[in-house]
Amino acid sequence: MDGMGRLRWCVAVMGLLLVWGSGAQAVQFEVSSRTTKCIAEEIQSHVVVVGDYKIVHSDEAHKVTVKVTSPYGNQLHYQENVQSGQFAFTTSESGNFMACFWILNAPPTAVINVALDWKTGVAAKDWASIAKKDKLDGMELELRKLEEAVDSIHSEMLYLREREAEMRDLNELTNSRVAWFGIMSLLVCLGVAGWQLWHLKTFFERKKLL
Amino acid sequence: MAPGSRGRWSFFLLAVLGLVHVGRSRALTTTISHQECVFEEVGYDGDLVTGSFVVIDHGLAWADEPGVELVVTSPTGTKVISITANEGQKFEFRAHQSGLYKFCFNNPGPTPETISFHIHVGHIPGIADLAKDEHLKPVNVKIAQLREALAAVSSEQIYLKARDHRHRLTNESTNRRLVAYTVGEYVCLVGVSIGQVYLIRKLFDKRLGYNRV
Repeated sequence: MDGMGRLRWCVAVMGLLLVWGSGAQAVQFEVSSRTTKCIAEEIQSHVVVVGDYKIVHSDEAHKVTVKVTSPYGNQLHYQENVQSGQFAFTTSESGNFMACFWILNAPPTAVINVALDWKTGVAAKDWASIAKKDKLDGMELELRKLEEAVDSIHSEMLYLREREAEMRDLNELTNSRVAWFGIMSLLVCLGVAGWQLWHLKTFFERKKLL
Repeated sequence: MAPGSRGRWSFFLLAVLGLVHVGRSRALTTTISHQECVFEEVGYDGDLVTGSFVVIDHGLAWADEPGVELVVTSPTGTKVISITANEGQKFEFRAHQSGLYKFCFNNPGPTPETISFHIHVGHIPGIADLAKDEHLKPVNVKIAQLREALAAVSSEQIYLKARDHRHRLTNESTNRRLVAYTVGEYVCLVGVSIGQVYLIRKLFDKRLGYNRV
């Protein structure tokens, strides 16, 4: 490649980087100093979770505290007073995973914009290294990603089906309980009424009123 | 580098750095006391922004919920969409500007509500982009359309999952209420009948006392 060609190629790639790089999306939210902001997600087990957080548009040196917890309360990541950071873990149980942000030691009117990039499963995979390892072309990489996406949709569908089966069992249990408790209610009522009658009858016979 | 492979290299680079969010099967859950705002970046004008939100738990004992209102504001401050929903709803709009869009969830009711939301910004390269950029081929447009179609399926699945979560909470609550209220009912019944017998006995003891006198 000659000098001019190389320069043009570099500019083209840079332009493309800017164009494609802005396709990245992160969720941004505000954290004020009085409250804790928690974002949670229900994740199955054996899923890779990668998170990237940073403070945006901040003039003063505000810092935020982060805590990521598993559904059973185990602390997976904790950082105090940082401006940015990242965490990655593989889930060992399925349930609600929560990332909480709050501010320590700040004036009460401080408001911070935190950008959290939370990726699970397919989006969390390191596609750069996979592409390098398998020597994948650009289009092949895209198609591989689409294939993974279809797989994840399928497994989510199966998961939904299992949950629906559990809910159906719960509903049928509730239904049969309603029937049983109704009958038992009637029996308890009759039993208690019978006891009342018997007790009062013997009581009055004892007092020689009957 | 040979001229043919140069094309391959830049393609490779741009795909690797493309950060394609396909099958991003995630719905985030958060609890709202009065208002929670989330910002999402829209890269190009003309992008289709889709999403859904479901109210999972409204903290009240009865079904009469006030609902949650979603207000979307564009980067220039104009209101794009405003939706009020009791249980939850899907939404979509085409962004006319690129920039940071603000999605605000307002809770008019007295108790904090937990919602589960999902926002997806979809970009498909158009004919203008094809003409501008020599590395973008029509097959990329097709792949982008396929990607967006898959994202739509994934989005529907996320909505279903959130609704299923809500139903599950309602069912578990029903079961718990059934057991608790039934046991309480039995205890009350037995207690009240013992109380009745005791009071009647006391009444007759007093009467007999008077008769003797």
